[in-house]
Amino acid sequence: MSLAPHRVDYLPIIDRPRIEWPGGARVACWVAPNVEHYEYLPPRDNRRNPWPRTPWPDVQGYGYRDYGNRAGFWRMLEAFDRFDLRATVSLNLAVFEHYPEVGEAMVERDWEVMSHGIYNTRYLHDLSEDEEREFYRDCIDTLARHTGKPLLGMLGPAVSNSARTPDLMAEAGLLYHADWMHDDQPVPIMVETGRLVSVPYTTELNDVPVFLQHYDTDEFVAMAKAQLDQLWREGEQSGRVFCLALHPYLMGMPHRIGQLEEIFDHLRSKEGLWLTTAGEIAQHFLDHHYDDFVAHAARYRTDPAGGKGA
Amino acid sequence: MPAQRTYGMDHDHYAWSPLPARPVLRWPDGKQLALCVTVLLEHYEWEPPADAYSLRRPSGGIFPLPAPDFIRLTHREYGHRVGIFRVLDTLAAHGVPATVAVDALTAEHYPWLTRHCHERGAELIGHGVAATQLITSKMSETDERATIARSLDALRAITGATPAGWLSPEGAESARTPALLAEAGVRYLCDWPNDEQPYPMTVPSGTLTALPMFLEADDEFALWTRRMSLPQWTALVVDAARRLHDDGATTGRLLVLNLRPWLIGQPFRIGALAEALAKIMQLSGVWAATGSEIAQWYRSQGHGG
Repeated sequence: MSLAPHRVDYLPIIDRPRIEWPGGARVACWVAPNVEHYEYLPPRDNRRNPWPRTPWPDVQGYGYRDYGNRAGFWRMLEAFDRFDLRATVSLNLAVFEHYPEVGEAMVERDWEVMSHGIYNTRYLHDLSEDEEREFYRDCIDTLARHTGKPLLGMLGPAVSNSARTPDLMAEAGLLYHADWMHDDQPVPIMVETGRLVSVPYTTELNDVPVFLQHYDTDEFVAMAKAQLDQLWREGEQSGRVFCLALHPYLMGMPHRIGQLEEIFDHLRSKEGLWLTTAGEIAQHFLDHHYDDFVAHAARYRTDPAGGKGA
Repeated sequence: MPAQRTYGMDHDHYAWSPLPARPVLRWPDGKQLALCVTVLLEHYEWEPPADAYSLRRPSGGIFPLPAPDFIRLTHREYGHRVGIFRVLDTLAAHGVPATVAVDALTAEHYPWLTRHCHERGAELIGHGVAATQLITSKMSETDERATIARSLDALRAITGATPAGWLSPEGAESARTPALLAEAGVRYLCDWPNDEQPYPMTVPSGTLTALPMFLEADDEFALWTRRMSLPQWTALVVDAARRLHDDGATTGRLLVLNLRPWLIGQPFRIGALAEALAKIMQLSGVWAATGSEIAQWYRSQGHGG
């Protein structure tokens, strides 16, 4: 049986139903700028300090991120426009209220909004079940108020989660959860009611860990190209997912935007890619592959040889 | 324990032995460098047992997060679902046999994967119970024996044989570990990163040969702990192999390379492994072999152990 948290059946990527993306594409690609607001003086959390560098406030840490909304976002927006790419924005939804100009720019372009919580300084790990239910209601209502659209998925606020998160997301009607780094394909996530899938996000091809951990932009570009090319080779057998995770306060900087465009150019110049959003990937998987994956996984559950005999 | 300033080691696990003072080591067919690639299938638990010891700063994920840390947990799981197949294919494409260290939770809960590795011809070696249950001096002898037995039993259930080799989770041991492993029938140990040749370990019963892993080339140490860039890592591995190969003309050398499918098996990293192996396998005197083949050959040449 699956190990705790008992939410995913084991399915080796070499023995699964074949995923076919629209148009016969090999790789479904989504680009996720994280548009965030870190509070100047957030409520204290017992287990996580968003500003560990100095006693609060940390104006340097705050300002570095605030730069993203004031300047970096707008430069990054031009790059998306230039390459006609539609983003899946990982959004702290309070940005709609604090910075409506940012919200309007995204709505104007029909970017898909993925919830990244309300603020990047309010976490899910210690919420009660009712508080977490209320949190989803708030996310759904806020998005509807500003875009008229349903909320499809979430990357936990500052990648925080509770053990109940997938159940409560599915109960609230969300389709996908992006906090699963375990795969290059969507897979069913077991929940108490309804259906939920993972759409693979990335903490590897992500400007924050890359730049905080001693690399810079040239390495990021090389990583992105190598990632896409490898997935593209493998995507001939069965569809893969490529995700590029960005933050306007980093990749929107003047010394980095040229290399972001280099990555976008690579995305635009390669054949066989489905340039899409996380929600569309999730919906396609639910419509065409979810049931096959569940049935295939059931064979592994009842027969350790994976339904292939000895 | 006060220091005893006497000749040799400050413990009894092996004898002091400066490399130039040893008898010449020859590999089969006049080869100069034995290459052993060990692939680690480690399970990182959602909720480790309360009394288990884990690294304070485990690898994977993004940065330390309060539980439940979906990010780290699933990042590590990537190896079992996706990365392992890339790594095995890359090794096979370059004619390098795989020695796969499988922990008990992996063997017990991923029987398809464990059997797959076995059926592809990989040598399976013991790897403890989980990456979140380290063998340390804080573990009682009873628990340590049980950990070793569970690990070996889980692999025996798949292969029908006692694993010949062992790599501890995170390379952590108590002062008893080599003795208990030898007693349980293990024949070689890869934990100590302290040599360029195999050497005999001193154990009360059984026979134990050290196959020292090469720490600086280890993917986690280089790419995660030290945060080398991929091109730097490829260059490090190839430079080390070339020099060991050349030095192996005098007396044979060993390179044990640890790889983690969740790390080197990522799409953007796998090409770096392919490049390194292609360059290493071009060297005329490389013997790519499993841990057992190397340990057996070493013992057959009368080097003890």
